[in-house]
Amino acid sequence: MKVLIVDDEQPARERLKFLVSENDSLTVIGEASNGEQALRLTSELQPDVVLLDIRMPGMNGIETARHMDRFDEPPAIIFTTAYDEYAIDAFDAHAIGYVLKPVRRERLEHALKQASRLARNSLQQLGESGELATQRSHVCARIGTELKLIPVADILYFQADQKYVRVRHGHGDNLIDDSLKFLEGEFSDSFVRIHRSVLVSIHHIEALEKDQDGQARVRLRGDSEEDRESLLVSRRHLADVRRRIKGR
Amino acid sequence: MPSATDAETSEAHVYLPDFCAAGTILIVLLVAELVSIVLTLAAHTPPGTFLTELAKMSLYVLWLALLSCAVLCKARTWVERSGKMRAFLLLFFLLEVLCLLLAEVAYQLTEYFGQSVIIDDTHVGFLFRNFAISSIVIALAMRYLYVSSEWRRSIVLEAQARISALQALIRPHFLFNSMNTIASLVRAAPEKAEQAVEDLSDLLRANLRNAHNRTTLEDEFEVAAIYQRIEKLRLGDRLDVHWDTGDLPPDALIPSLTIQPLLENAIYHGIEQLPDGGEVVIDGQRDGDRLRISISNPKVANRSRADGNRMALDNVRQRFELAYSANSEVRVSDNEKRYCVELLFPYEARE
Repeated sequence: MKVLIVDDEQPARERLKFLVSENDSLTVIGEASNGEQALRLTSELQPDVVLLDIRMPGMNGIETARHMDRFDEPPAIIFTTAYDEYAIDAFDAHAIGYVLKPVRRERLEHALKQASRLARNSLQQLGESGELATQRSHVCARIGTELKLIPVADILYFQADQKYVRVRHGHGDNLIDDSLKFLEGEFSDSFVRIHRSVLVSIHHIEALEKDQDGQARVRLRGDSEEDRESLLVSRRHLADVRRRIKGR
Repeated sequence: MPSATDAETSEAHVYLPDFCAAGTILIVLLVAELVSIVLTLAAHTPPGTFLTELAKMSLYVLWLALLSCAVLCKARTWVERSGKMRAFLLLFFLLEVLCLLLAEVAYQLTEYFGQSVIIDDTHVGFLFRNFAISSIVIALAMRYLYVSSEWRRSIVLEAQARISALQALIRPHFLFNSMNTIASLVRAAPEKAEQAVEDLSDLLRANLRNAHNRTTLEDEFEVAAIYQRIEKLRLGDRLDVHWDTGDLPPDALIPSLTIQPLLENAIYHGIEQLPDGGEVVIDGQRDGDRLRISISNPKVANRSRADGNRMALDNVRQRFELAYSANSEVRVSDNEKRYCVELLFPYEARE
């Protein structure tokens, strides 16, 4: 089995590497010190198992796992943690594998054996409900086999486009798999629905105005001329948009 | 800051007893009667008339006492809303007005009815005597209320400090992470592992020491430095701590275990959350007999919600308040780039 080790602390990675290398049926194919790097390596190296630290700077382990779980062939994930009462309760509830640091050899082997039997989708549920409900800091776009992480803070708006959702951000646009409804729920505090098919970042709205035809539009703020787009606001959503802009 | 106002209001209810309660009224009446006896004893009473004089005096004083109780009963919640000092001044003023009013009424009554009770004084003289006596009695009573409320408050504070000292015991997260680091070092760098075990033991020992004691800055900085050494093993290049405390007298006293928890906070909420780490700055200055220590850390960009528990900070705050009451300050400044905790306290050298 190919194993990827993810931890922001070097001594912690060393120890896991040593423990894994003791078992002949396992090979460490890489290590990452943060979530973004872990996603890239996972997409590149296709590990069978990822040993994933929960508390990491930037994208934490839970969010990293949620992104990984959407890959075509997601790896089995075993979380490693020193002390997270809430996380552990949730893992137990959702039958998600974890080991506690300092990691015990037997415990790690046991978790690795179980890893393949991990229930699919439980990670998604974990991130969406209950104790560990968190907003993602990035959304993940796939361009062929390439992986692109888009910081949520950079996103201007999401636009439903038939099967996919187009993410318009500071550096262009990409397609992602999430549904608009799902995104609306997850980022409800920073995005507002302005149209049946468009979800806009409240912080990127410069003004709400009327065009020559009397249609309400939001003008976006952006660094470049082409970022300063103007989007149609449907009548149904107008009152809500006005309220959210006022309340920001 | 909702917590501060909560504390003030709950504290405010401690310092005046409930003057509507029967128990308090009984005590007030008892004190009033004792005052009447003292006043009558001190006055020149013709032989054989002591009891009659006492009765007259009691009538007057008890009347005043009961009225005061009634006023205090109504005014208490209103008065306690203002600060402690202002509340006492307000009460003094209220009671003084009440007393003078009553004196005036008594004077007018004796003028009207004449014979049975004769006030052997001029109008102004009578009012002045009333004012003087009541001022002294009211001042004494207030002093008593003030001291006993301070005493109660210090008991509450001490109990809180004791509890939070227990809570301040090293974060489990830190403990297990350190153990993990040591487990890794045992094989790779046995000498470092050895030192880490020693450091961790020293740190635990310092944590188990009685948190009430004050310690010297030198020792307190040493504990923080030991802590820093352990975290450095784990975080490597990501952690940098810049110490600029040469200006501080090493023999100055400080509540123990106050710098280390703040450094721990700076690392846990600041450095650990940054992929490339950053620098914690510990800066100290002496200004005459005032000392100032600040601990600051870089902040995680675009994270609006503060995902920290404020336990360590609250704990430090309480311990400073207990040690120096109003003579110290724990300030927090929080801008976009850095988070900074500042401690201001008097320089007291160890004997």
